[in-house]
Amino acid sequence: MLALAGYLVYLDHTVRQQFEGRRFALPARVYARPLELFVGKRLEPDQLVAELKMLRYSATDDPGKPGQYGRKADTLSIHVRDFVYWDGAQPARRITVKIRQGVVTALVDYQTGKNIDLTRLEPVPIGGIYPAHNEDRVLVRLDQVPNSVVDALIAIEDHNFYRHWGIDPRGIARAVYTVLTGQRVHGGSTLTQQLVKNFFLTPERTITRKFNEILMALLLELHYDKKDILETYINEVYLGQDGNRAIHGFGLASRFYFNRGIEQLELHQSALLVGMLKGPTYLDPRRHPERAKERRNLVLAEMQRQGLITQMEKDAVRYRGLDISDNPGVGASAHPAFLELVHRQLRRDYFESDLRSEGLQIFTTMDPVAQAAAERSLSRRLDQIERARRLPPNLLEGAVVVASALNNEVHAIVGGRRPRFEGFNRAIDAERHVGSLMKPAVYLTALSKPDRYSLVTPLDDSKLVWKEAGTDDWSPENYDKEFHGQVPLRLALANSYNVSTARLGLELGVDEVIETAHLLGIERDMAPFASTLLGTVNLTPLEVAQMYHTMATGGFHMRLGAIREVLTADGKPLQRYPLKVEQTIGAAPAYLITAALQDVVREGTARRLSQYLPPGINAAGKTGTTDELRDSWFAGYTGDRVAVVWVGNDENKNTRLTGSSGAMTVWGDMMAQLSPEPLVPPQPENVERVRIDVATGLRADEDCANSIDLPFIQGSAPEKSAPCATPSSGNKIKGWFRRTFGND
Amino acid sequence: MFRQSIYRAVFVMVASAMLASCATTPLEESPVSGNPAVIALADTARSEITRYRYPEAAASLERALRIEPRNARLWHELARVRLAQEDYSQAENLAKRSNSYAADDNALRRANWKVISECRRELGDLLGAEDALKKSKP
Repeated sequence: MLALAGYLVYLDHTVRQQFEGRRFALPARVYARPLELFVGKRLEPDQLVAELKMLRYSATDDPGKPGQYGRKADTLSIHVRDFVYWDGAQPARRITVKIRQGVVTALVDYQTGKNIDLTRLEPVPIGGIYPAHNEDRVLVRLDQVPNSVVDALIAIEDHNFYRHWGIDPRGIARAVYTVLTGQRVHGGSTLTQQLVKNFFLTPERTITRKFNEILMALLLELHYDKKDILETYINEVYLGQDGNRAIHGFGLASRFYFNRGIEQLELHQSALLVGMLKGPTYLDPRRHPERAKERRNLVLAEMQRQGLITQMEKDAVRYRGLDISDNPGVGASAHPAFLELVHRQLRRDYFESDLRSEGLQIFTTMDPVAQAAAERSLSRRLDQIERARRLPPNLLEGAVVVASALNNEVHAIVGGRRPRFEGFNRAIDAERHVGSLMKPAVYLTALSKPDRYSLVTPLDDSKLVWKEAGTDDWSPENYDKEFHGQVPLRLALANSYNVSTARLGLELGVDEVIETAHLLGIERDMAPFASTLLGTVNLTPLEVAQMYHTMATGGFHMRLGAIREVLTADGKPLQRYPLKVEQTIGAAPAYLITAALQDVVREGTARRLSQYLPPGINAAGKTGTTDELRDSWFAGYTGDRVAVVWVGNDENKNTRLTGSSGAMTVWGDMMAQLSPEPLVPPQPENVERVRIDVATGLRADEDCANSIDLPFIQGSAPEKSAPCATPSSGNKIKGWFRRTFGND
Repeated sequence: MFRQSIYRAVFVMVASAMLASCATTPLEESPVSGNPAVIALADTARSEITRYRYPEAAASLERALRIEPRNARLWHELARVRLAQEDYSQAENLAKRSNSYAADDNALRRANWKVISECRRELGDLLGAEDALKKSKP
């Protein structure tokens, strides 16, 4: 007896402690960037509609409710939902957006008719960081829950709910009988018992457990009123599966199945959800609509039988369809690779348990348009390449990183050709030789010494044998197996000559080149071997993106990041990830390396990029191919984005692809979808442009047939004029001044 | 409209007066941008500064910079926020970033060099500060 009393006290403690102490574990919710709207923004009407569809806005002629929009040609009327941002709440309002020739030309508040300076659409949810068992839920208060849900629930699951003390003696008697007769225990549970079961107990079915369940249900009823118990039940129950994500509670279920808040559930929808409790998988309305409908109508009939609805009410809805929304979720996230980067960044600042339970709201930098384009291009191009080259299907894998070229924000991450698949994330985990992608570090080191090097300095591309104590002689070869004699520096890079690059790097010193790579943002150690100059260094696509990003920004290192802000579950600002910049490379050499990388695209190994991008974009980039065609790389940037593509094989097999025949085509296909801005870097003060004769690399004038305009750090341009140029007296005098006084 | 621009002018004056204590010359009071969205965000930033709400001011300026990433004035304003927060390393680098986009806006360049000079002095780089100070003079 004493033991029983002691046990009761223990159970009582457990029940109270857990029921009060246990708040539901809420996943961190992760959002893409919100779409900013203002006059002057570049935006196509179709893009705006695509964004609205991702946000599950519904099209209608008169968007009277938040979450609706209407379109007449290039004018959209959008009833924007309310949303709490880092800088405060933005209430719901109806706006009119006019777009002409790809630019927003008017933005007006529908109610007041006044112009709006700036507003935004709420951000697209891109996934969650889930508690144990991937439980997902959206908490609701009982006063938000429509009567139809509560009525149906009580009618079907526990019609004595408001009268019993937590257990139903008749149900229990039935259960005891079935056990005594050797059958398995089932049924006979009140809502309170079901809650206890889900909350405190393991799923096995034994007499002891049933006994505990009864005691705990009684204790629960003793301490808490029916409302608390009902509310908790409504938030707790399991209502289906979305891939690896478990749908819990009516709040999330109404969004998942009907794309609406629980307040807006109609009678037939409430009945469907309550009916599903019996077996959410068996009765899944998307997979088994007939079964689900039959069960729903059974619920409606029972409600009518118990007098909760009238015959008319029942008949009004029993022939209605299920009204299930199309495009359900896609598991934990449609973009697991991006989410993983977010998660890793968060782990530096938060406990894993908090991420999985506190309901944090994470605002990321993902651009859904770029993400979609990157996913599409990688999958599409790899399929096409395999077919066109008769490669074994699925030989190729790939990864893409896209970031802003103007701040530190990562726009897209694709970890493999099946982007929904949560597996090896090649964008952030695949460490591969980078080959020629390392070359810009060599040339940048040289261009930082304007007294010795400029874009036209002749480099020696004849046979090289490098002897180093302790290693074999090293004798790099060019891709075409030939030597090219004296080559101007910019063309050695444009054509990706290995021999002249290696000789240049050795002249500069391998350590210096590695130091430049560090200044560009490569954090890991690199072996000071000569072959490092030609990229026998393992880097991930994300690290390569960081390196090229620093060139794209004109020498300002900004650590790439995927998060803008973190808010608590109730919308209070918790943390911001501010933009940090550090100028690690001089503005002038950074400007020159970009010019050289533009030459790679204009006339070098990446010239076939013109099949994808108009020449006016003036993109900068570099191809990379590793030994035995194991890796195909392309890294480059436009005026507004940096992107890196890797294509290869997980087992390091020969892919029969070079950088330009593989990765570059993915890059071009993707960028073409993103209406890139032309690359026009601001010219630093100490850079001048000089006309150069292509044949000799000397100063040209209008008499020279084949000449180009090239940037030079002041004082580093050739002084001599080419034979084709007529040396005017003015030029002579200028040349004399330059020689005498320098140019600074 | 008129009242709004008076408010705006007052904000600018207060903000400049505050930042003047950080040894920067107030720029000529030309609008920060031709884009109303950017102007609104820059105004918000200034009013946050008057309330010493620097992270909020920075957030507003970063949002403006996402709209006009090549706006040298916005980079300068962000540099001044970091200076006010005594984050000298960031302030110096942001001022350099502003200079990279300043083109022929000499008044802005001088203001940036003044920020850089101040930062270098605080960081103990006296020669560098002197050099920057020279560049901040017309």
